[in-house]
Amino acid sequence: MNDSVTKTTKTYFEIQLDRLFKEHYLPEHYYVQVRQSKSFMEKYLSDKIELEKIASTAFMSRFHYTRIFKKVYGLSPRKYLRDLRLNKGKELLRQGLCISQVCFDVGYDSLPTFYNAFKKATGYSPKEYQTLNKSNLE
Amino acid sequence: MIRIHVTSVPVDNQNKALKFYTEKLGFIKKTEVPLGEHKWLTVVSPNEQNGVELLLEPMGFEPARVYQKALKDAGIPYTSFMVADLNKEYERLIGTGVKFSMQPREMGPVKMAILDDTCGNNIQLIQML
Repeated sequence: MNDSVTKTTKTYFEIQLDRLFKEHYLPEHYYVQVRQSKSFMEKYLSDKIELEKIASTAFMSRFHYTRIFKKVYGLSPRKYLRDLRLNKGKELLRQGLCISQVCFDVGYDSLPTFYNAFKKATGYSPKEYQTLNKSNLE
Repeated sequence: MIRIHVTSVPVDNQNKALKFYTEKLGFIKKTEVPLGEHKWLTVVSPNEQNGVELLLEPMGFEPARVYQKALKDAGIPYTSFMVADLNKEYERLIGTGVKFSMQPREMGPVKMAILDDTCGNNIQLIQML
């Protein structure tokens, strides 16, 4: 064990983790399959990707996939993909890209849809967010 | 729309905490307002400088000290921060002398490790897998 790990016996917290893992976690292959689909979403977030296609990358039916994904990550794959796109959008806005470019780069095909989703998720319009973060960097 | 603006970790010494949270963990100081013997001291993530602020809160209330110590002794993290690559961050932090009470381990959808912030807290680092 590494010298920087300061103890040899398990803490109360680790014992609880072990118990939870044993009692409540899904079979390992589900995590592997769902991670595959997550990587797929990360790679192709700027494309128009259908849930059916995402589910197929996890080798599951759409219904089963949605259920397992939610069990693993706590939110639906649609919401996960939306958050992924908006987080990428925030990153691109901070880099100073123009809003329409960001909109299309993160897989939205209409500016009003991107604007509404962004505002709902962050509380700011893309323009406000960009201004705030640019001024922060000054 | 309501939003989370600030969250906090109790620290036994604000100057020491600022040094650890900025120089070791990599946060950036956002505000430092003198308030009597203490200060309103917050840090933010370099990528979210307008995002949630972490208040390094002076431990001035005795019962809170008892609570903090109980969590620390049980190995329970006071709070959790997210990183993109936990193994890389773990190696980097070990290289700077940070002590971990739990090495990176996978647990379903996440990988996690726990470090000692030297200010009385266990801090969990998480990577979503």
